[in-house]
Amino acid sequence: MKKLLSMILASVMVLSLLAGCGGGNDQPPAQDNTQTQPSDSQTPSTPEPAPAPAEDVTIQVAALASGYEEAYPGMWQEVCDAFTAETGIKVELICDKNLEDVIGPSMQGGDFPDVIHLATGREKGLTEQFIKDRNIAELTDVLTMTVPGESAKVSDKIVGGFTDTSVTNPYGDGKTYLAPMFYSPCGLFYNAGLFEEKGWSVPATWDEMWELAEKAQAEGSYLFTYPTTGYFDAFLYALMYSVGGPDFFNKATTYAEGIWDTPEAQQCFDIIAKLASYTNPVTPAQANDQDFTQNQQLVLDNKALFMPNGTWIVGEMAEAPRADGFAWGMTALPAAKSGGNGASYCWLEQAWIPAGAPNMDAAKQFVAFLYSDAACAIFAKGGAVQPVPGLTDNLEGDNKMFYAIYDNGADAAMGNFAAYNAVAGLGSVREVFLDPVNGLVNGSITQDQWMSDVKAASDQMRANIMG
Amino acid sequence: MRRSKERSRFIFLCVAPATILFFIFMVLPTLNVFRMSLFERGAYSPTETFVGLNNFKVLFQDAKFISAMQNTILLIVVVTIVTFFFALLFAGILTREKLKGQNFFRVIFYIPNILSVVVIAGIFSAVYKPENGMLNSVLSFFAGREVMILWKDQQMVMISIIIAMVWQAIGYYMVMYMASMAAVPADLYESASLDGAGRTAQFFQITLPLIWTNIRTTLTFFIISTINMAFLFVKAMVAKGMADVGLSFMYSQKDAGLYGYAMAAGVVIFLFSFLLSAMVNRVTRRDVLEM
Repeated sequence: MKKLLSMILASVMVLSLLAGCGGGNDQPPAQDNTQTQPSDSQTPSTPEPAPAPAEDVTIQVAALASGYEEAYPGMWQEVCDAFTAETGIKVELICDKNLEDVIGPSMQGGDFPDVIHLATGREKGLTEQFIKDRNIAELTDVLTMTVPGESAKVSDKIVGGFTDTSVTNPYGDGKTYLAPMFYSPCGLFYNAGLFEEKGWSVPATWDEMWELAEKAQAEGSYLFTYPTTGYFDAFLYALMYSVGGPDFFNKATTYAEGIWDTPEAQQCFDIIAKLASYTNPVTPAQANDQDFTQNQQLVLDNKALFMPNGTWIVGEMAEAPRADGFAWGMTALPAAKSGGNGASYCWLEQAWIPAGAPNMDAAKQFVAFLYSDAACAIFAKGGAVQPVPGLTDNLEGDNKMFYAIYDNGADAAMGNFAAYNAVAGLGSVREVFLDPVNGLVNGSITQDQWMSDVKAASDQMRANIMG
Repeated sequence: MRRSKERSRFIFLCVAPATILFFIFMVLPTLNVFRMSLFERGAYSPTETFVGLNNFKVLFQDAKFISAMQNTILLIVVVTIVTFFFALLFAGILTREKLKGQNFFRVIFYIPNILSVVVIAGIFSAVYKPENGMLNSVLSFFAGREVMILWKDQQMVMISIIIAMVWQAIGYYMVMYMASMAAVPADLYESASLDGAGRTAQFFQITLPLIWTNIRTTLTFFIISTINMAFLFVKAMVAKGMADVGLSFMYSQKDAGLYGYAMAAGVVIFLFSFLLSAMVNRVTRRDVLEM
């Protein structure tokens, strides 16, 4: 009797434990079953999607909770609710600051969300990995779909040019894989109040910039700082664009042979190296995820004049103490030579559908819905601006000035370094091009060393380029 | 006879759940790491290519991996020596000397251990802040001029990490040693002092040999945990790429889309920690003294 009892108890224990572990796997197949239903009865181009058959479909949307969500909490949930109200498709939202850590493990197990809003250029590089693995569903047909609840096509609601760059078409084959979502101009941020007080003008060329550096030094300040080396990506893109124009920009971002030996490339390297010598020396010590706001604080305290950043900086540092008379100013990168145009990089976040998404059709409808007037209005409450015609007209305050940067004569640089197949031992774009800036400032690496590392890595990247 | 058979069956059934879980969640994934190190694949990609030992071949020529392992070894050696020195010293003082507020100190020393690494990173962010940071302010006060040490910059970054790691670990090991030191019979010290042994001699002749088993065990623990803690501290405290250790190298390779390569690094670190623990265990072997 005793024996039997112990055996039953032990086996119950084993079973209950195992059942608990296995539980997670029960859900995806159940979702799979419901998925086939709407895809048959609902063609993507139907202007008024019939809500009836779609009702039992639930799509999973994973969106990064960035500064916009912080500025208007519940922004994404509101958009999802509006989508459900319009189409009847239910949405389960995952919204998190560390989105990669939340959705990453289940995706490694083969369980993908239907729509992911997560930009390239983040430290964990999740979106880049999907691009490199060709694991993203093509979205070209979404452009011809009708926006749910409206009569306009998706392509009519996206400003021209935004679906032509490597940011949305990573393989350079004219096919769109990532939907252009929030964009913001990046540039150099400064204290406009200080410039007014001292009677300085914002430099239009790099030569004027170096003159200003001397003036700043006389005042006990430094010309430059940066939050982390990651912020140099937008800076480098804009710099390459202003120095060599679109042709050089395209060649450099596709690692063309010998491109880093050209005079244009040399000028880019020289400018960054010289900027490093004028950078506030405490910068690299604080250029980490823990302390980067202290570098941003240097500008607020007039201990550095300029820093590369994006429009979110205003919200991010809203609570921070600041020098008297502080006012945010933003300028494009100075022109490479007098008479030339400055340039500002257009930072673009993307939404995309993993190739393994269980509800592909409903997911595409959701992406199309993101461009509806209703969704745009909700996103605008958080300060997020999509490349939809007419949206920038309604901006107010600091944002109005920031988004006017291209109207004021700056060239818009868009696109990023081409995707290449990962090779063991070859660093990422950030490791090769950007991280060494810390070394340039603190003197642990020379400009020549950095340049030769870039050249060697660029050759390897070219050899493994995708497309 | 029948009873013992019954008994062993009962024991088997009691142990089975833990063993099965351990097998599923520890042994299988570990074996899988070894298997995946022979393949190349993205973390989220369903396809994989067999590349044999190529990942390892590249790994041992990767300058970044080698410098990451050098940093790991540096941290293991220095942090272990410094932590054990201070933990033994404080434990000795707190158990043998009659101090006011013994328990207060015990709690104070132990607190860092219950803080998460993120909180510690926040604390040390304030300590190491270049302008008006706690450490630089204290140094300026004593130097009589403004001291501006960039604690988290390239030149000082390893020292900063070592200080934070030692600060975090001392309390835990101190409490461990205090427990075993309290078990040393007081009459041993009494007779030693009658024989004219000073405090230092007592510590080295009596305390240390009698708690040696404890030190050995904690040493092995500490080495394995330092490999892990070093990663957490580096990740939370300093700029990417400034002081990479073995595991942060592994993570950055995974983020670069080289899952198999990252697993190869994982295999090397796994074997490294195993071998190191075995070696330490060997080297510190002594005859066990009975109290």
